[in-house]
Amino acid sequence: MSDINRTPETFDQNARAALADPVLHIALRNLADSFVVRRRNAIASVDDWEGLRERARAIKENTMLHLDEHLERFTENAEKAGATVHWALDGNEACEIIVELVRAKNARMVVKAKSMTGEEIHLNEALEKCGIEPVETDLGEWIIQLAGETPSHIVVPAIHKTKKQIADLFVEKVGIEKTENVDVLTQTARKILRERFAQAQVGISGVNFAIAETGTILILENEGNIRLTTSLTKTHIAVMGIEKVIPKFADLDVFLKLLPRSGTGQRLTAYQSLITGTKKDANDIGPDELHIVMLDNRRSRMLAHPVTRQSLACIRCGACLNACPVYQQVGGHAYGSVYPGPIGAVITPQLFGLSKSKQLPYASSLCGACRDVCPVKIDIPELLLHLRAEIVDGSATGPNERPTRKLGESIAFRAYSRMWSRSGMYSFSMRVARTMQTFVARDGKIGKVGSLISRLVPPLGAWTAWRDAPVVASKSFREMWRDKEK
Amino acid sequence: MPFDASRHEPLNPPEPSSALSGDSIVVLDAFMESLELVGAKCDIVESEYEAADRLVAIVKDLSATKIAISDSELVRRIVKVAGIEAIEDASREELFSSEIGITSAQSAIAETGTLVLESGAERHRLVSLVPPVHICVLPARSIRGSMAEILELADTDAHRTITFITGASRTSDIELTLAIGVHGPGKLYVIVIKDQ
Amino acid sequence: MKVALFVTCLVDQFCPNVGMATVEVLRRAGCEVTFDDRQTCCGQPAFNTGYRKGARKFAKRFIEIFRNPETEAIVSPSGSCTAMVKHFHELFPDEPEWQERANSVAAKTHELGSFLVNVLGIDDVGAISNCKATWHDACHGLRDLGIYAEPRRLLKKVKGIEFVEMENADVCCGFGGTFSVKYPEISAGILDNKIEMIEQSGADTVVACDASCLMQIGGRLSRIGSKVQTKHLAEILASQE
Repeated sequence: MSDINRTPETFDQNARAALADPVLHIALRNLADSFVVRRRNAIASVDDWEGLRERARAIKENTMLHLDEHLERFTENAEKAGATVHWALDGNEACEIIVELVRAKNARMVVKAKSMTGEEIHLNEALEKCGIEPVETDLGEWIIQLAGETPSHIVVPAIHKTKKQIADLFVEKVGIEKTENVDVLTQTARKILRERFAQAQVGISGVNFAIAETGTILILENEGNIRLTTSLTKTHIAVMGIEKVIPKFADLDVFLKLLPRSGTGQRLTAYQSLITGTKKDANDIGPDELHIVMLDNRRSRMLAHPVTRQSLACIRCGACLNACPVYQQVGGHAYGSVYPGPIGAVITPQLFGLSKSKQLPYASSLCGACRDVCPVKIDIPELLLHLRAEIVDGSATGPNERPTRKLGESIAFRAYSRMWSRSGMYSFSMRVARTMQTFVARDGKIGKVGSLISRLVPPLGAWTAWRDAPVVASKSFREMWRDKEK
Repeated sequence: MPFDASRHEPLNPPEPSSALSGDSIVVLDAFMESLELVGAKCDIVESEYEAADRLVAIVKDLSATKIAISDSELVRRIVKVAGIEAIEDASREELFSSEIGITSAQSAIAETGTLVLESGAERHRLVSLVPPVHICVLPARSIRGSMAEILELADTDAHRTITFITGASRTSDIELTLAIGVHGPGKLYVIVIKDQ
Repeated sequence: MKVALFVTCLVDQFCPNVGMATVEVLRRAGCEVTFDDRQTCCGQPAFNTGYRKGARKFAKRFIEIFRNPETEAIVSPSGSCTAMVKHFHELFPDEPEWQERANSVAAKTHELGSFLVNVLGIDDVGAISNCKATWHDACHGLRDLGIYAEPRRLLKKVKGIEFVEMENADVCCGFGGTFSVKYPEISAGILDNKIEMIEQSGADTVVACDASCLMQIGGRLSRIGSKVQTKHLAEILASQE
């Protein structure tokens, strides 16, 4: 199934396609296995991991409660230091601003450091439409750019690809001899991208943290492409969601302890760049201009509700993806969104509209493994349940967005709630079930049911496709109790 | 040509003897350990002369001839003493064809093995990044214990870009297999000069 | 101790012997067990699928039935149902009285294993069971209720048992309520990982304190013709052979 057709609305189809892909299965298995070990080892080097998480959660919560103040301070301080801050209400506006900035420099090519926010607003598409070539420089992003795909993970965008697939890709698109040697592949990419870096005049990056106290932006990485993008070029454009702001410079200590460990199992990534405005001395190394594009794109709506507000605490570490049994089965593309996995299931509907992604909140067994590993303690199951309730009663969404809920399911649940809140009806309905099951039960269990029954009782069909179902007991507990205690 | 100390000016002004306290030995040890963990090669030397020696050895090891340096006084001195030909203020072309970049660092973090480069103090942003090998020379007294200390001391107005470097450039983007030296240097050498 | 049994609809209708075993264990532990047969369901399926109005109906009914101040504890053989009771208060954001009632009922409600170890302070109920058993940590019991050490302690005290810890015991079995039938293929994929771990452990019996997980795991074991059995914690603890 081609990438472009994958949307959150076809999650079930996407998932089925993913499950039928044996190569993807290997790649995802690899991710799940390594993640557990790496994270465990990384956490071992911290004295009070839980205390750290709580501090981070508290900082984020406080920040969200006073977001406008912190944004104001950040802007003031960044501009004082020479940056130009732009505000974009939505993705389109952000793209317009960025395209204009690039055009103003007469640049036909820009080097790009990995930015999920950039993916969110489809920045590359917008640039290409205006005849500007965006060159992804993060290795994983460059690989998927070559392949014409979208990222399938927040941190390791090409995780769905095996070495063999990447080797084939290089043969096809780069023209080298086939090799699965990772060093050779990496050095090839390095060489090619250095040629682009050497000519680059404009660089676009994301932002990991924006510090209100000083007007500083912090961007972290392992490869060095962000440093190149932000040091070699004359113009640096940084795009960030408004939730990236944190109040104090000292707060960085907490997040720098949490993010690398949670994301890649490292104590620290190889490089952090803390950029405050533009250079003081015109002769200094570095860009002459820094433009910071602040993106809302419905984040301020998420702020409004105490339950959804916590979604904005996300520091994009990807730990929840790695821990999620569902993500481990289907990978990132199945979600049809730039933000996959547990956090994706929660912010995709909020950023792009609940009616366009009403499957995602249900694509979870609510196991809570994500909540366990989240460095900022986002209660993702709580958010999923909140969104499910919104889908059922169409509460917080606008009239144009009210998703249609499934009529059959709605009737079934209403019946269940009405009947089973009365013990008489409860017992009666189960007696009916006991009778009906004689049609399908054999040897005390229900095996795979035929297509007619599947159509009449879809859940039974879905269950028994993979598992035997138990039968309703001939005597219920309450009947046994009544008999015994007589 | 063999290095002859008597032919050169004294390199360091005399340091107060309290510089090497118990604390700083602990910090230094921790720094070494952390550097090792992140795959950087670290040497502790007693003097700038020794640092120069070490530098000569590294350059010889790598059979490098094109070397770029930053504008650090310390680096200038050591490179001169080492008798190494190096380009300061390299152009973009020169940078991209250099084999080694030598800089100092304004401070370092022992708990993580991190070098802290401050843009207002030294022009090392590209020299520490573009060539495939980065050699960093710094005095032991500039090493601090923790990230928290560094953040407290940071002056973001004086230094519009502060760069933290922890080990070599790397990626696990291809099947989670580690590859070193992607866009930044693949080899990092740190030479720590002990306080006298 | 006066214990009101919260048997749960699944146990009541599909594995009533687990209910009987629960009563047996509680009595052996010295409790006086009552069963109010007005109880039906805690409403978890409604709550989890987003039908909060329906869930509220169930919650109110449950609270009414179990409010008896003479009851010292409400014990359930299900971690997820117990967790649901703890979540009742979320259904009454604008009804402070109901919230209070929900909280006081929730405070008395316990999962079986947790009740034995944490409330009664016992971990040996005189059980005998000759099997090689491994424990599956049901998600709600583990993460909502913090139950981890208790069942392991209880199982290790069972005479004749050989307890083995399986890898990834704390990973979901893939049930997730309606998830299991909305996304059956994904549910089955997650389930197969669990089955793999069970087989690797060498156990002949999988034990859990959640009938839904046991249905999920047992249903697959049965479909693939495995010799491994599923047993509820109550069944093992009540066992005398």
